[in-house]
Amino acid sequence: MFRKRIGLLAVYGIAFFAFIYAPIFLVVVYSFNANPVNMMIWSGFTLDWYRTIFGFSAATTELSLYVESTDQLLRAVRNSLIVALTTTLVSTVLGTSVALAVARFRFRLKAFYRALMFLPMIMPDIVLGIALLIFFVSFGMSLGLVSIIIGHCTFLTSYVFIVVSARLAGMDMSLEEASADLGANGWVTFRKVTLPLILPGVIGGALLAFIISMDDLVITYFISGVDSTTLPVFIYGMLRRGIKPEINAIATVMLLFSFLVASLGLYFRARGR
Amino acid sequence: MSARKPIELRQKSVLAGLLAAPTLFLAVFFAGPLGLMFIYSWLEPGLYGGVEWTFYDLSYGRIFGWADTRYEKFDPVYLEIFLRSVVLALQTSFFCLLICYPAAFWVSRLGERAKSLCLFLITLPFFVSLVVRLFAWVLLLRPTGLINQFLIGLGLIDTPLEIIFTETAVVIGMVYVFIPFMFLPLYASVEKLDASLIEASGDLGATRLQTFRKVVLPLTLPGIIGGSIIVFIPSLGNFIVPSLLGGAKVVMTGNLIEQQFLSARNWPFGAALGMTVMASVLLLLVVYVRLLGRDEMPAARIRSSEGG
Repeated sequence: MFRKRIGLLAVYGIAFFAFIYAPIFLVVVYSFNANPVNMMIWSGFTLDWYRTIFGFSAATTELSLYVESTDQLLRAVRNSLIVALTTTLVSTVLGTSVALAVARFRFRLKAFYRALMFLPMIMPDIVLGIALLIFFVSFGMSLGLVSIIIGHCTFLTSYVFIVVSARLAGMDMSLEEASADLGANGWVTFRKVTLPLILPGVIGGALLAFIISMDDLVITYFISGVDSTTLPVFIYGMLRRGIKPEINAIATVMLLFSFLVASLGLYFRARGR
Repeated sequence: MSARKPIELRQKSVLAGLLAAPTLFLAVFFAGPLGLMFIYSWLEPGLYGGVEWTFYDLSYGRIFGWADTRYEKFDPVYLEIFLRSVVLALQTSFFCLLICYPAAFWVSRLGERAKSLCLFLITLPFFVSLVVRLFAWVLLLRPTGLINQFLIGLGLIDTPLEIIFTETAVVIGMVYVFIPFMFLPLYASVEKLDASLIEASGDLGATRLQTFRKVVLPLTLPGIIGGSIIVFIPSLGNFIVPSLLGGAKVVMTGNLIEQQFLSARNWPFGAALGMTVMASVLLLLVVYVRLLGRDEMPAARIRSSEGG
């Protein structure tokens, strides 16, 4: 009887994963479909959509003239990378600082900081997005890469804080004490003992920040100017205008990229344990 | 005593050094914008976008019922849309829970290696672009999409079902996107569940249903509530899913807010709607912390377990 229930549960488990992965899988498969009119009807294998998005060939038929220009796409990718790299750097420094302060110092506002660091994460995206839009516009800041970077840092600092805090919480403080007892000053202890120990957490937090920043749509949507479209905003725009076959190819490339970064992150997390 | 003083002083300066930049940054770019949004929601909308700096409570009046002037009238449609968003977000939480609960039990009973593989596979979609995941569902649900073709091929239906651009499509999309958010806190609760308690309950003569209701459910309740809140919050203000899968037919509060900022250009009204969403979320969290205590703060757990 017990066996049978486990069996049923396993069937359910497999169905559960199928539900999660089948749609993603479908996008990958259909990115190789030659049919330009109905993407869902298979009419042969092609790499045309990949050629189109990478700019090696113009679209094959009139019907599939969709990516207005590869330049636009590449610019969006470039913007996304600039934003994500800068955001990662800034939010990792800010988030790690607060995490260190909260974990290693005793001060009166500690509880306040803990609560404060959760707020940006709990705030619905759209609320933060419009608040930032109002803020930038009323102070006359032009919307562009800088405003996007600032916007991303406001909530990604929290993510880094959480990840690094988790790492600090599981850390043995006696090593730092030993270092101090042996005569190392605070800075040396930090550089030689604390930093190497929290590094997996810091890298994990940084990668998380990077991937969320690369993927953020809602906040970026409100605070990106005309010339500073990021990749998610660009694709969202394409989707709203209509479904075109090369979106499959773009999506597949993005999938590959996120799987790569995610695996890297999880590798660091596993190593950090 | 005097010997300790310099160290303490230095410690204070280190602490100040660590906190100065983040505090300044968040004060200016997080608290600042939210405060300004609050102020905006009480200002008079200008004629051509923009605002007049005079006190004006009719933006809220249009939503909650006291606006009755020539230009600004209360319209129940805004409350209706808000309530519909609440219902859709509740449905999303409910179906996420329904789908994830058995799966969490299944994963918790696997061996160590299989367990971490499953957790990896469940976390992975979180890293995959939201737009890409939603796009997959557009492909599936369209009249010429795979689901309709499949059903027509089987001869079950003659004409394509209109799934896309319905509330059902929006809920399907949100459930799909937010499954990892539900699974992780739920799993944390389910994994902690002590199997011997279930056995003991059975040995003492409880039926399966009784064991579930009196033992399993109460013990996994923190995960259930935590996961539901984590899913509910981003669903409530969502505008991406309804705009891609709901089309013009399903309007949620998020879409309404977006319109106020990007096409109608009535920022105070948009800000008032945003405040309404934010207030409901904060209210929900306050109730939650009161009920379950601070340590169970849902975001804390899910985010740290997601953290790369």
